[in-house]
Amino acid sequence: MKGNNGLKFFLVIAVIAILTFISFSGNFFGIKVPGSVYDIRPGIDINGGISAKLYAETTDNSKPTQEQLDSAKNVIEKRLDRLNILDRQVTTDLDDGAILLEMPWKAGETEYDPDKAIQEIGKTALLTFQEVDASKIDSNGYYIHDEENKPTGIVLLEGKYVVSANPQKNMQSGGMEVALKFDAEGTKLFADATQKLLKKPIAIYMDDQFISAPRVDAHITDGEAVITLGGRSNDDAAIAEAKDLAETIRSGSLPFRLDAKQVNGISPLLGKAALEVTVKAAIVAFILVCLFMIVFYRLPGVLACIALLGHTVLQLLFISWLNLTTITLPGLAGIILTIGMGVDANIIIFERIKEELRSGKTLRAAIDVGFKRAFTAILDANVTTLIAAVVLFIFGTGPILSFAYTLFIGVILSFLTAVTVSRIMIKSVADLDIAKNQWLYGVKVVSK
Amino acid sequence: MINMIGKRNYFFILSGIIILAGLVVFFINGGIKGGFVLDIQFEGGTVIQIEMPDDNYDTAKAEKIVKDTIGKSAIVQKASTFNAENSAAKLYLMNLKIGSKETLSQDDRSKVISALKSEFNLDENAETTVNSIEPFIGKEIMNKGLQAIFWSSFFIILYVWWRFKIMSGLSAGVMAVLALLHDILIMCVVYIFFRIPLNDSFIAAVLTVIGYSMNDTIIIYDRIRENSNLLRKTPIAELVNRSVIQTLSRSINTSVVVLLCIITVFIFASVNNIQSIREFTFPLIIGLASGTYSSIFIASSLYVVWKEHLLKKKVAAKAAKSRA
Repeated sequence: MKGNNGLKFFLVIAVIAILTFISFSGNFFGIKVPGSVYDIRPGIDINGGISAKLYAETTDNSKPTQEQLDSAKNVIEKRLDRLNILDRQVTTDLDDGAILLEMPWKAGETEYDPDKAIQEIGKTALLTFQEVDASKIDSNGYYIHDEENKPTGIVLLEGKYVVSANPQKNMQSGGMEVALKFDAEGTKLFADATQKLLKKPIAIYMDDQFISAPRVDAHITDGEAVITLGGRSNDDAAIAEAKDLAETIRSGSLPFRLDAKQVNGISPLLGKAALEVTVKAAIVAFILVCLFMIVFYRLPGVLACIALLGHTVLQLLFISWLNLTTITLPGLAGIILTIGMGVDANIIIFERIKEELRSGKTLRAAIDVGFKRAFTAILDANVTTLIAAVVLFIFGTGPILSFAYTLFIGVILSFLTAVTVSRIMIKSVADLDIAKNQWLYGVKVVSK
Repeated sequence: MINMIGKRNYFFILSGIIILAGLVVFFINGGIKGGFVLDIQFEGGTVIQIEMPDDNYDTAKAEKIVKDTIGKSAIVQKASTFNAENSAAKLYLMNLKIGSKETLSQDDRSKVISALKSEFNLDENAETTVNSIEPFIGKEIMNKGLQAIFWSSFFIILYVWWRFKIMSGLSAGVMAVLALLHDILIMCVVYIFFRIPLNDSFIAAVLTVIGYSMNDTIIIYDRIRENSNLLRKTPIAELVNRSVIQTLSRSINTSVVVLLCIITVFIFASVNNIQSIREFTFPLIIGLASGTYSSIFIASSLYVVWKEHLLKKKVAAKAAKSRA
């Protein structure tokens, strides 16, 4: 038994040591392991960037539909794609009729002007149907793509005439297509255009960005057109492509403009300073907690510190692996808070063990009873914190979400490490003769 | 054994005085309008931060520039923070708060920034931070916050009801949540007293306190649950008192550890002037400290008062029955 316990003890320590090593170095003896602390995505309040809430301002104060918001979101995503800002979050909020945008500064950007950036990204999309250069039409009348796909500027009609654009399935071919419908004026303009460009491509542009260039196959006079796409309708990629194209075309006729009523632009330098300070604070807090535990609880306190290290490292790894959200400054505060909460369970257990020792139980019995009786208290206490974290996650906004997230992960992990890691370590150590002295557990030794 | 539950009225009075004092100051400062200092999320407005080469600049000059450029008054403050690129040096900042009840248009914001840059001979690439918020955003945040407080309290009562059936869970849950409301009131009092601007960090702090303060209460409840099986004949006040005393070192130590962490972060943030973190941790410290106090002295005492009240009613009913 003794040898077995010793083995368990060293196994636990070895696992914690390896996890710590991985999370701070990012590799394990040459093998690159994903999920080190460096893979955690910092939020814009650390890396610098913009968060904005763009409200849809309609002329008649009506609320935009989800479809319209999706369309506006699509425009913003396309613009960010072109600016090569990929690590962004764009979400719609139907209740408020708004689009939430969070994006980091572009690498190498020297001019930090959040207003200008938002203005560019949120402006109403200008959707145009344009004639293409004759040199870019192949013998079959299809458009020849190149790197730039520059617009010619010969605008035949604008997207504002589009009444609807919807993805649909072609019943005969089984392929995906987008059905377009124009209003009265658009119908006339589109009829002229299709007459002029029969058997030639017509290019669709959003601002200066090339979207698509289908070939005109017929002279369309009723204002209802279909853009046929390749691919099968059971193909997810084809469905997504059709949906994307429909949303983009719709964006030209959105009945609102976006107004950035809430803009928060953070310079990267200030964010970096805040990060450094917070990380330093975390290290100091960790050391203080360890000192407190060792002074108060002696031997179990030392073990609790090892378990706490395991818990903290595991939490960082989980955040990095799950990669669900960016981590903001309040998120970091959440991690530090759970460092404190992480030892709570240990304190509850150790106090219980002390109590049992005082009542005259043997060390072994006291440890067993201590863990068993403390379990319900720890479980119930952690569940209530989890309830608050989940509610905060549902109702929270912006940087606070990250706090709810780290708190949630931290509480679950601290519960798991306290009832497993701490337990294995303290039980195996208690078997050693040297660890039998009750002074080590913070109980006054009474000579019998 | 010290009889803490017996002294419960002193604790009720102490908490009452603190909350009452907060209420008085609240009304002296103008009640609903002015009792709380509102952050720009509630007031609306624009805050601009610009990196300055040093600390020797004239804030009055900046105020005048804003007035001349867009005709609005501004409040300008000096600030400095930790410089991540050169830890020996500081990063100097100028904080401008412009307008209230309305935000600056994008045009006006750009105009102000370029005017300040040229008047103070700043680098074209000087770091700027802009925070512009419409006043109704604050209402949204407040609404969501109140909903969050309601739902978390609701689920906590349900959970305690289920888990602590033996000590009539519903009343235990309700008393625990009453103690939480006490903590929230104390946090509000601190905000009123120290004129701290109310913002969304406050809501997050309140929810954390709701979740965490329950920790201490649960530790005590758990012991009452255990003891009520062992000591069936003991009067309720003594049973609860014994449970509180037995778990006292636990309650205090767990809070000390958590407070140790949060206070450390607060001190680091204050020394280095990291405003967002300082604003976030301060209410947490107050709430967590109050949470420990209320778990030990308020929640269990309220529970005893309520149980004794029920018992008296029962006895009275019985007496009435036997008389009839």
